[in-house]
Amino acid sequence: MSDMEGSPGSSMHGVTGREPTFALSVASPMVPTDTTANFDLPVDSEHKAKVFKLFSFANPHMRTFHLSWISFFTCFVSTFAAAPLVPIIRDNLNLKKQDIGNAGVASVSGSIFSRLVMGAVCDLLGPRYGCAFLIMLSAPTVFCMTFVSDAGGYIAVRFMIGFSLATFVSCQYWMSTMFNSKIIGLVNGTAAGWGNMGGGATQLLMPLIYEIIRRTGATPFTAWRIAFLIPGWLHIIMGILVLTLGQDLPDGNLSSLQKKGNVAKDKFGKVLWYAVTNYRTWIFVLLYGYSMGVELSTDNVVAEYFYDRFDLKLHTAGIIAATFGMANLVARPFGGFASDKAAQLFGMRGRLWVLWTLQTCGGIFCIWLGRANSLPIAVLAMILFSVGAQAACGATFGIIPFISRRSLGIISGLTGAGGNFGSGLTQLIFFSTSRFSTAAGLSWMGVMIVACTLPVTLVHFPQWGGMFLPPSKDVNRSTEEHYYSSEWDEDEKKRGMHSASLKFAENSRSERGKRVASAPTPPNTTPSNV
Amino acid sequence: MAAAPRLLLGFLLVLACFSETCFATITFSSLPRTLVVTASHPQRLLKAGEDKITVRWGLNQTLAAGTDSAYKSIKVELCYAPISQVDRAWRKTVDNLSKDKTCQFKIVKGPYTTTNQSSEWTIERDVPTATYFVRAYALDAKDNEVAYGQNTDAKKTTNLFEIQAITGRHVSLDIASVCFSAFSIVALMGFFLAEKRKGIKAQQ
Repeated sequence: MSDMEGSPGSSMHGVTGREPTFALSVASPMVPTDTTANFDLPVDSEHKAKVFKLFSFANPHMRTFHLSWISFFTCFVSTFAAAPLVPIIRDNLNLKKQDIGNAGVASVSGSIFSRLVMGAVCDLLGPRYGCAFLIMLSAPTVFCMTFVSDAGGYIAVRFMIGFSLATFVSCQYWMSTMFNSKIIGLVNGTAAGWGNMGGGATQLLMPLIYEIIRRTGATPFTAWRIAFLIPGWLHIIMGILVLTLGQDLPDGNLSSLQKKGNVAKDKFGKVLWYAVTNYRTWIFVLLYGYSMGVELSTDNVVAEYFYDRFDLKLHTAGIIAATFGMANLVARPFGGFASDKAAQLFGMRGRLWVLWTLQTCGGIFCIWLGRANSLPIAVLAMILFSVGAQAACGATFGIIPFISRRSLGIISGLTGAGGNFGSGLTQLIFFSTSRFSTAAGLSWMGVMIVACTLPVTLVHFPQWGGMFLPPSKDVNRSTEEHYYSSEWDEDEKKRGMHSASLKFAENSRSERGKRVASAPTPPNTTPSNV
Repeated sequence: MAAAPRLLLGFLLVLACFSETCFATITFSSLPRTLVVTASHPQRLLKAGEDKITVRWGLNQTLAAGTDSAYKSIKVELCYAPISQVDRAWRKTVDNLSKDKTCQFKIVKGPYTTTNQSSEWTIERDVPTATYFVRAYALDAKDNEVAYGQNTDAKKTTNLFEIQAITGRHVSLDIASVCFSAFSIVALMGFFLAEKRKGIKAQQ
């Protein structure tokens, strides 16, 4: 299993076609347990855990899980910490609507670049240092909020704090060194979802901290600045915990990994080419921009919206806004679960329909949210919108592993970047101008969600079909093997570099749904070097 | 049997009357401008937390006696001028007074007297940087607005004054931020170098 360590795609490596999102453990015959190892959890031959025991802090596997998701959670808290305090900040800094909107765009744009760099940093320094470096070097940017005195400074600081969202990459990378590939789907999905919850928790936390500081006698314009010291310290504390309690690999730290030579590395140029020339990549980049992207945008605007539209107190608006982000606890895993269930019955077509349904429903509820005139209806619409959008995020990553085997890492990275890009674009169009009130902006965002989800109807796999069209009738093209080995040229196939793809293809036959049993043996798929 | 529908009708009528008083929307355009309000202050940029504004209000003496029979209390407020409402929907002027966001700071509230009154108000420290005017509402016994007066004209262009907010920054806070940031960077570098040194020692 030590092929291609550290190469592009290895962070999502080992995600095969078959694990359901809720695989909590891997049974012994499938993956043999290494009985000589002395860990709290059963491990495989690489000492990666085969079991996901949620409430354990055992070193190193579960401890890594908790350190990792809490670090990611902390970065979400600080990136969106300003959002629930905007009603105070906008008066202190004399902001206009454009300034508030531009700051929201800035807060999600920084991480587009930092996530790309983070992959390389994890390859060089290991995920433990990658995470610690990012989280401790972004602590000063959080503390900078205390100095801000005008719109320009506010936008700049939110941009810099946004870089810390690249902990997503270190989080996923670190998990893949600690958990067996058959359960990595659940582990990574849970970590991502729980990290995203930080965007909700901060809407509760920051107004509470602000209120407490005000009660001690500080004026509002000073109290919000002091409140920012808390997320800053969370960064420092998590960074120190990661450095002292964490380790890169089950057996120790990164230096031992780097001693292993002779691994066949894949060429970055080729991996990028196959990612970029697959049209499905771009459809999912767009789609994720309107599931994850709108989630991030809503994290930025919803507290201020409830405060202004319904004349609520700051902490009441915060509580309502928090329920939006906190729904990630169950909504995102639910999306993955629904996708897997649909795949069992209807194969890939089921997955596509589930994604389209969840995301479109999210869009419709978003339209409703903007138009709701009474508080209870608005809260109901918001909760339904959050479930739709977040479940769609989970369902998206139920499909992404099947787009490509060779370029999985890059496609995941591009999709993630698409999420942030969609968020920035949406905030720029709808929430940075006085042309739309925030309510109208929300409704138009809902319309855009429905429109931008339509391209999923164009996704077609020759071996499995699409939402409406059946699989290809051509006997050669309608096999999983053909699809996955078409990413390798003849020369590479001669060298047997595509053998992992062939294994993946065999495992992915489950995406035919109930038709698996009737799949004929495809001709010309036996690799020539067998 | 005939009593029941009549009882229901009566009940609905009573309910309708209650709802009238509970949900009556008072609009600004329905209020008569019967009060005269002036605000005096130093003729320069006013500083929040330091400068004082003296507000005087009273009934317009040219009006008939008895105009103010319903006035029981007065509330005087600091209100945003139109220039400070541009691109800031959270300060929007709306006719329905329960939704109007023009006046967000209370200067003084007290019982109404027929003689002219005045009050000296130190500008509070949570007042943002903006251009303002002063408005007084006369309230009846149920605390509903029944009349108003303001120190500017109907188009809100004259007698406006600017207030400069406090920055909210403090030297001690700035120093604390710098120290914490430095600690974060130094701690990280310290750990990194210490582990590198341990790695080199282990190799030797």
